[in-house]
Amino acid sequence: MKTNREIALFVLDALKNAGAEDAQCVISTGVADELNVDSGEFSLMRSLFDNKITMKAIKDKKKGVISINSFLEDAILNAARQCVESAEASVEDDAVCISEFTENRGFEAGALTPDRDRFFDRLQEYLEDVKREYPKIILEQVVTDYSSVETFFANTNGAEYSYRHGNYALNTMFSAHDGEKSTSFNYCDVSFDDLDSKILDLGMQRDLYKRSEEQLESASFEGKFCGKAVFAPLCLEDFISMAFDNFVSDMTMIDGTSPWRYSLGTKVASEDLTVSYVPLDPRMVGSERYTGDGYISENYDVIRDGILNSFSLSEYAARKTGLQRAKNTSSCMAVKPGNKSLADIIKGIDRGILVYRFSGGSPAVNGDFSGVAKNSFLIENGRITKPVTETMISGNLAAMLKHVVAISSEVVCDGSNALPWAAFDGITVSGK
Amino acid sequence: MLHDVLHDHIRAVPGHAEVRAQTNTRRAVSIVSGNLVSNVRSESGGVSARAYKNGVWGFSSTADYDEEAVKKVIKSAQDNALFLDSRAGKGKPPLPSLALANYQVERDFVDVPQKIYIDAARQVDAYIAQKYPALASRSVVCRSDSMEKLLKTSEGGFAHSIMPRAYIYVFLSTDTADGETLELFEVLGGGAGYFTDYYADPSVFYDKIDRLYEQLMQKRQGVFPEAGVCDCILDASLAGMLAHEAVGHTVEADLVLGGSVAGRNLGKPVASELITMIDFAHTALGEKAPLPLYVDEEGTVCKDEVLIKDGILTGYMNNRETAVHFGMEPKGNARAHEFSDEPLIRMRNTAILPGKNKLEEMISAIDHGYYFLKTGNGQADTTGEFMFGITFGYEIKNGKIGAAIRDTTIAGVAFEMLKTVDMLSDDMHWDTSGYCGKKQLMPVSMGGPAIKCKMSVGGR
Repeated sequence: MKTNREIALFVLDALKNAGAEDAQCVISTGVADELNVDSGEFSLMRSLFDNKITMKAIKDKKKGVISINSFLEDAILNAARQCVESAEASVEDDAVCISEFTENRGFEAGALTPDRDRFFDRLQEYLEDVKREYPKIILEQVVTDYSSVETFFANTNGAEYSYRHGNYALNTMFSAHDGEKSTSFNYCDVSFDDLDSKILDLGMQRDLYKRSEEQLESASFEGKFCGKAVFAPLCLEDFISMAFDNFVSDMTMIDGTSPWRYSLGTKVASEDLTVSYVPLDPRMVGSERYTGDGYISENYDVIRDGILNSFSLSEYAARKTGLQRAKNTSSCMAVKPGNKSLADIIKGIDRGILVYRFSGGSPAVNGDFSGVAKNSFLIENGRITKPVTETMISGNLAAMLKHVVAISSEVVCDGSNALPWAAFDGITVSGK
Repeated sequence: MLHDVLHDHIRAVPGHAEVRAQTNTRRAVSIVSGNLVSNVRSESGGVSARAYKNGVWGFSSTADYDEEAVKKVIKSAQDNALFLDSRAGKGKPPLPSLALANYQVERDFVDVPQKIYIDAARQVDAYIAQKYPALASRSVVCRSDSMEKLLKTSEGGFAHSIMPRAYIYVFLSTDTADGETLELFEVLGGGAGYFTDYYADPSVFYDKIDRLYEQLMQKRQGVFPEAGVCDCILDASLAGMLAHEAVGHTVEADLVLGGSVAGRNLGKPVASELITMIDFAHTALGEKAPLPLYVDEEGTVCKDEVLIKDGILTGYMNNRETAVHFGMEPKGNARAHEFSDEPLIRMRNTAILPGKNKLEEMISAIDHGYYFLKTGNGQADTTGEFMFGITFGYEIKNGKIGAAIRDTTIAGVAFEMLKTVDMLSDDMHWDTSGYCGKKQLMPVSMGGPAIKCKMSVGGR
């Protein structure tokens, strides 16, 4: 069996021999053990063994990309030929490139060997804990796994990076039920690299299950008002991601439709708001160490104290727009916490809504959004008064970021993000 | 084409078990405002096995595909089933036997060279750039995907199938007078088959691009809809999403077991008597279904499942295990996307059947409401609550089409909203270009007629 590095060097040779002037590849091997629970009962155990090669060839300033999952020499040689043929058929573009050599690095992170029996015990304990502490919750589906991955990056400029990591993960989809009454589903994902804690204590599961049980008494409300929306951490991540997709990402910057395309270094949000991508934060599990473009990952701020500090651009988009590439592939979002507790934030709201999940259409290019506030609660006179259903919220993402009311001091870390609750003004809430 | 090295190793496994070799291919070329930003080919393949033991399943997959890999995944799947049975045994009986499947693909895989996709994308992009130079941006995506599967079951079932799809998408955007950017997109033809089946001459789709541009200019002058519940017409191109998202997911038997609203409504009226909804297998309304399926990944021979008949909820979509639980017949809804995916209950060709009305008479029956024509996405809940993002539509005033509208969201509760349906058009539109997401992706098709009903509109 060849090592990932040996396979990578073979791929680069194959690409060069097929006519590539510059080339890069990423070799990946992974193993996963997965346990599934359906409707609260164990249903399936999976063992997965996978390989992947992604190769890029550049010829005459033209690019082709191929991915395959076979390590057989014939398959690699055939893919390398097709990759170069794809490049030859492509369009000349000065922005295509591979990364320059800086230094070669190897990385390791997380739980590199699984404890299968202890993991199973923890999962059994988790199912019993949920059933006992939140009897009205049905775990419609639980997918939990241990996975380990080894990757190797190499390019024809001599850059080489290796990364070996392993971690556990839990994904749940659940709802509350009581006789004929049932709630909307909600979900929760957590990643972790040890089995020291009860699984139920990870992320914000307890709050989500408690809130879902409270939702059993939800009802629609009549009327419409413009007020404040408090977004729970996972919902906050959805909204900021929607905004960043429209305002700082490759596509809208290349096609010139981003409303923030000339806003670098200027104020785009309330000064309370700092949003970063922090894969190197020690709370993140199994996060990236190098980028797909072939650079060692660093943390970076997109918005710092309300000022647009960086776009989230790949190297290609950076060269197309004349801007800087982002320092990672925009994974692991962190929002700087504020100094008020969630309870105090709610006390300060006369009329608003606490939103746990948003089900909406893709926002318009300018950031206009509308959708259903799922698993949500009305806030009236500083108190959470009632769970609501069939309630829609709408607003504009760019305007919303400029109207931050408060950010909570509490932060939820689920292994992939570190996020507080955040309240925004100017959101239209409409009932039936 | 996949060659058969599965042999008969799976026959030695007691009870029900499957082994499946599979290759997925994907080709994609994207041009954004004249820049060829994506030029990608991918192949993903391998072999997997799944074994049933007393109510639990073991599964294993590997990217290798040779006889040793086949033996390895079968043993690993059995070991996993034994482990799970020993730790969480349910003591359930074996799955009932079914009629043995035997299906052989009709047409070989066609691998279209990447240059064909690139040339088509460049031709379409050049047409738009030349004819509509004032656009804020334009994107053209040419793509195809395919799943080839070779399946054998321990009972002796066999199927070798290929499901290829190919599409061109066009996205256009324009700036309004006050600096807002508005976008619309359209799928130019395509469907089950290979890229060259549909796009030998992309210029035949130029009229669709012209129509899209015209709609974008109408949207540029558009108004924001008023929030609230009102009379609406969902165009036939939206009816499929209603069938799939709002109703289809709630009648997937695994979600019924998870507590979906359909669990307490079987045999009860859930819709207007005008509504009949079917998940078609391979033949729909006398023609080949848009994405035909003949045998599923459990080896079940595919048949139609009537979900709603004249407004009454009549059935669920099942796998073999849930069919036993509900006392129903499995109809072949257990589907897996990649070689490394286990079969899940999925929709196939899900449609609301057409009615007897003409679109014009439906519009004339509304004093004040909306005609929604394009959607960006849709989501549903196990409670039956659903939402669609609307990207294009018109006001209806005094029975006539009015101004175009800006982006909005519509929402409702499926089994309440369906009871408000009072007219269905006599035509039918299928959409095959999307994926359904449910742990795994899955190509699905969805269809229906124009529907007149009451819906909640998001407004601004």
